[in-house]
Amino acid sequence: MKRYFQEISVTVTLGLVLVALAIFAPGFYQPQPLLSLATREAPALIVACGMALVIIGRQIDISVGSQFSVCSVSAALLVTHGWPLWAVVPAAAAIGALQGAFNGAMVAWLRMPSIVVTLATMVTLRQGLNLVRQGEFVNLPDGVQWFGLSQAAGQGVLVLIALAVLVLIALAMRHLAIGRSVYAVGSDAEAARLAGIPPQRVTFMLFVLLGALAGLAATMNLVQSPQVQPAVGTGLEMKVIAAVVVGGVAISGGRGNLWGAFMGLLLLACVSPALIHLHIEAYWEKAIQGAIILLAVVAEGLRRTREKGGHG
Amino acid sequence: MSAEAKLEGAAPAAPRSGRSRALQLLRRPETLLLAVLVGEWLLFYHFGTSTNRRGVVVGFGTMARQADILRHSCEIGLLALALTPIILTAGIDLSVGSLLGLCAVAFGKLWHDAGLSVPVAAALTLVVGGLAGGLNAGLITRLKLPPLIVTLGTYSLFRGLAEALTHGAVTYTDFPANFLELGQGRWLGLSAQAWPFLAVAAGVWLLVHRTTHGRAIRTIGFSPEGARYAGLPADRRVAQVYILAGVIVGIAALIYTARLGQAKADAGMGYELFAITAVVLGGTSIFGGRGSVTGTLLGVAVIAVMKNGLASLPVVIRMNATEEMAGLATGALLLLALMGSNIAAGKPRK
Repeated sequence: MKRYFQEISVTVTLGLVLVALAIFAPGFYQPQPLLSLATREAPALIVACGMALVIIGRQIDISVGSQFSVCSVSAALLVTHGWPLWAVVPAAAAIGALQGAFNGAMVAWLRMPSIVVTLATMVTLRQGLNLVRQGEFVNLPDGVQWFGLSQAAGQGVLVLIALAVLVLIALAMRHLAIGRSVYAVGSDAEAARLAGIPPQRVTFMLFVLLGALAGLAATMNLVQSPQVQPAVGTGLEMKVIAAVVVGGVAISGGRGNLWGAFMGLLLLACVSPALIHLHIEAYWEKAIQGAIILLAVVAEGLRRTREKGGHG
Repeated sequence: MSAEAKLEGAAPAAPRSGRSRALQLLRRPETLLLAVLVGEWLLFYHFGTSTNRRGVVVGFGTMARQADILRHSCEIGLLALALTPIILTAGIDLSVGSLLGLCAVAFGKLWHDAGLSVPVAAALTLVVGGLAGGLNAGLITRLKLPPLIVTLGTYSLFRGLAEALTHGAVTYTDFPANFLELGQGRWLGLSAQAWPFLAVAAGVWLLVHRTTHGRAIRTIGFSPEGARYAGLPADRRVAQVYILAGVIVGIAALIYTARLGQAKADAGMGYELFAITAVVLGGTSIFGGRGSVTGTLLGVAVIAVMKNGLASLPVVIRMNATEEMAGLATGALLLLALMGSNIAAGKPRK
C-alpha cells in the first residue's frame, strides 16, 4: 500500500474527478465523445509507455515530439507513394528506432547527458523537417482514414492497440528479466553491471524502443485525419513526461510503473473536456495541468520528507 | 572519477610551465568558442555582405546589422545569464520561457488594467518574477524535489496563468513611447536594452566568479555532500539562485515587451531551449560545478551571430530557410561541443 502511494493517489484523484463529473456534468458521459477522447489520447499513451521506461532507466528524452513529427511525415509520404498500411507501420517504427538509436548511442556509449543530447536532436530534427518540407501538409488518399473502416470501428481498433501495447509492456516490465534489468539500471547502474546486466546496452535499447513506439504512435495518429501537418507532435514530449511523472515514475530512476503513467495520462487528458462540461473557460487548461503536476510531485515530496522524519 | 580529478576540474592546479599553461588556456571551452565566433563572423562578413546597385553596402557587414544582433540577443542572453548559476548548482529551470510570458502579461495587466504608472508596474513585474522564482526555489529546497520536475510543472503553470490572465486572447499594446525606448531606442551609441543586459551580465559575473556566494554555488554543484560538510547553507544558496533567475526573467520580459510594443501570453515561448543551449555551449556542465559566465555570453553571441548571419547568406535567403538553418546549426554545434568536451576531459564523463 505504502509502496504504491503515488499510483494509488493518482487513481483515487482520477476517480474523484470522474465522480464529480458524473454529479455536476453528466453530459461528459456520452459514448461517442468519450471514444473520441480515448482515440485522441491513444498515440500519446503509446509514447508515454516508452517514456516511462526511459525515465525508469534514469534517462530522459525530450526529442520525442520531433521524432513523432518526422515519423508522421515520413509515414504519410510512404502512404501517398502507394505503400499499404501494414508495411507503413513497421517502416515508421524503424524510422523512429533509428532516431532513438542515435540518441541512445550518444547517451550510452559516449556518456553524454541525455537531456542535452535530446535537446540538440529535438531542435535538429524539428528544423531539419521544416527545412525539407517547408511546412507543407501531406494529403492522404481515401481509404486510409480509420483503416477504411467506419469511424467508430477505427477508433475502437486504435484504442485496443494502445491498450494492448500498454498491457504487454507493463507485464514485461513486471515479469521478464529484461524488464527488471531496466529497474536495476535505473536504480544503480554500477550495481546492475556487477550483477551481470550490461547497463549501456539497456540504456541504448530504451531509446530505440521509445523511438519505435513514437513511430507506431505516429501511424496511429495518421489514420485519424485526412492529412498530416508537420507541426504535429510539437509539445508532445512535455505532455508525456508530465503524464509519466504525475503517475509516480521517479525522475531519479528506478521506480514507477506503467499503470501509474496510464492514470497520469488519463487525469491530464480529462482536464480539457472536464472544463468544457463544468463551464469553466478553456484557457485555464494549461494552468490546471501545471498545478496537477506540481501537486503530484509535492505529495510525493511531502510523503518522503515525512517518512524520513519518522525514522529519525 | 576520483575526488582529486574532480577538484582539478574546479580550480586548475598551478601551472608548472608556460607551455602547459598555454595548453590549458587553449583547452578551455571559452577559447574554442571565441575561435568559432570570430570564424563564423568572418565567414558571414565575407559571404553575407554585398554592395547594391547604388553602391551602398548592405547585408551582414553593416553597423546597423551588428546593432541588430545585439538587440535581438538581449532577451535570450538574460535568460541564459539567469540559468548559468542554476546549472552551476547542478539544477535546471525549464520555466524561464513561460515565466517571461507571465511577467510580460503581468506588466501589461498592471499598467493597462490596474492603471499603474510604468515604473511602478515594472517594479511589480520584477516582484512577480521573484515570487515565481521563489515558488521554484521553495519546492526544490524545502521538499527536496528534482528541479527538472518542479520546473516542468511551473513551465505549464506559468504559461497557463499567462493564458488565463489574458483569457487566451487579450494583447496589451499602446505602451507609452518612453517605455518603448527601452526596446527600440538607442542610448550612448548602443541599443538601449544592451545596457541593462550588460549590467546584469556584470552582476552575474561578479556573483559567480568574485564572491564567496559564487564559490558556494559551484561547490554545491560539484558535491552537495561536500558542501554540507563544509557548512555551507546549501538550501539557502540554491533558493537564492532560483529567485535571482526569476527577477532576471522579469527584466527580460520588460525588454521583450518594449521591443515588440505588445504583451501577449505566448511571449518567450521556446526561449528556454535557446537559453539552455547557450549555457551548455558556453562550457557549463549540465552536472553542475563547472562553467563560467564568460562562456555563457560567448555561447549567446555564437548563436545570435549564427542566426543573423545565416539570414544574410544569399543561398539561405533563396531557400527561404533562415529559421531552419539556424536551428540545425545550433543543434549540430551543441552536439559537437558535447563531444568536444568529452574528448577534452580525456575520458567519458559520468
